[in-house]
Amino acid sequence: MTQNRNLLWLVPPGFMIALFLIGVSYLVVESLRQGSGFGLENFSAFFQRADYVRVLYRTIWISCVVTVCCAILGYPLAFAISRYRGNRNFLMMLVIMPWLVSIVVRTYGWVVILGPRGSLNSILLHLGLIERPLRMIFNQTGVVIGLVHVFIPFFIISVLTVLLYRDATLEEASQTLGAGPVRTFWNVTAPLSLPGVLTGMILVYLLSSGAIVTPLLLGGVRDGMLSTQIYQDVLQVFDYPKAASMAMILLLVSFVVIIPFQILERHVATRVSGRGHG
Amino acid sequence: MMRYMALAVVVVLFALLPLPIVIVAISSLTQTGYFTVPLPDFSLHWYAEFFTSAIWIRLLFVSAGIAILVALVSTCLAMMAAMVIHRYRFTGSSAFEALIMLPLVFPNAALGVAFLGLLSLLGVSGSYLGIGLAHCLITLPFAYRPILNSLRKLDPALIEAGQSLGATPAHVLRTVTLPIIRPGLITAFIFCFIVSFDEATVTIFLIGPQATTLPIRILTEIQESASPVIAAISTFLVVITLAIILVLERTVGLELFAEPEKQN
Repeated sequence: MTQNRNLLWLVPPGFMIALFLIGVSYLVVESLRQGSGFGLENFSAFFQRADYVRVLYRTIWISCVVTVCCAILGYPLAFAISRYRGNRNFLMMLVIMPWLVSIVVRTYGWVVILGPRGSLNSILLHLGLIERPLRMIFNQTGVVIGLVHVFIPFFIISVLTVLLYRDATLEEASQTLGAGPVRTFWNVTAPLSLPGVLTGMILVYLLSSGAIVTPLLLGGVRDGMLSTQIYQDVLQVFDYPKAASMAMILLLVSFVVIIPFQILERHVATRVSGRGHG
Repeated sequence: MMRYMALAVVVVLFALLPLPIVIVAISSLTQTGYFTVPLPDFSLHWYAEFFTSAIWIRLLFVSAGIAILVALVSTCLAMMAAMVIHRYRFTGSSAFEALIMLPLVFPNAALGVAFLGLLSLLGVSGSYLGIGLAHCLITLPFAYRPILNSLRKLDPALIEAGQSLGATPAHVLRTVTLPIIRPGLITAFIFCFIVSFDEATVTIFLIGPQATTLPIRILTEIQESASPVIAAISTFLVVITLAIILVLERTVGLELFAEPEKQN
């Protein structure tokens, strides 16, 4: 009896979940609306426009590049933090701090550094290395730099979560059995941290494909991503079914890439922990 | 040799993490508002402009107000959900948990469009009420995780002891459970506050002529005029964030940020 009464506490959070589900269902339904009926017309209209298809490809491409860059640059950082013997909190702060500062502020930082009148250009000009300012933002390079910086903390934290709580005795065992540090890393540490790497990559891909502030501020007019395209279309003409269908495409694109990753992650996690998820 | 090179790379990468923020902070203290070589003269001009601007100050309070309310609501809702789910494993409890975390797996722009539709269905589009509601939906998973993590550290024997000594459930909650999960609650509250206060990717779809937030206003200002006053505002926000994190670190530590997900 008391249990049933206590379950009533789930009603308020359940109400929020219901609101969320209503929002998502409305998105799905509206994306299928055409005139007074329903159909796939919004979707076929999207794929018939060459410029939209290019934006779609660009979104996938940029998100993949950002994900790979975050993995390559982020792993050494996570590894260094996990091995650091001194005050780890300082390094953690370096990671968490930018994560918690607004995306708008961090992106503005890159505008100041890389912009045509920015710090890097002024330093290079001053040293006489270049004669006129380099164009480093308002193109895809700018978007990739910005997104990698904005999302790398998520990757580092994911890997760190695995590295910090791993079983250190396994590495000791490997070393005792005569493996050097390099072999121990490749045979023990790297496979053990793989679930964290995959989780981090999924997160970064998801965040990059849905990002809007960074591509809006660092991307050029011709280098839009799907999210900025949706935003601009919504601003110009308020056509909700069209926006909804584009959001659905964005959703499907991220899920198509992520689901195989997630299956892989399950598989790896099961093998690494030596048991299945119960 | 290899060792030192690897070390150098890692040090450079660590230095790059705070670099944009540091550059903005230095820029905000110059006359031109740009960190250039040779360094322009020192000036507090942009701070003066920020603090005397009625528009910016109003938006600062609006965003902080929304964030405090959102953090309160989300923390309370997450606490209800976490306590029930932690205590009773019922049919569908893991599905309920998955539904709470669901907003995290949606690309932000898609969430923005979904909330745009939801708010117009509810008749609160383009209002602060609508923005606050959307922020609650986004922050709920951020509040849930740390509270659940702290509940897992709670020894059930303590609650049983309280109850067997004759305390009412409400009394046990107040004197045993709440003090123990306090770090989780504080982390959840601060996390939600920061997420809501900084949110721009979803909010950009939800603003109206009557309702905008500080991050969105900064965003449009960068696009339209790129006035260096943005550097001053940004630095101010960074200092506030830094202060909040320091308080969090001193009071409950930062471990609840990177807690392993226990598999059960």
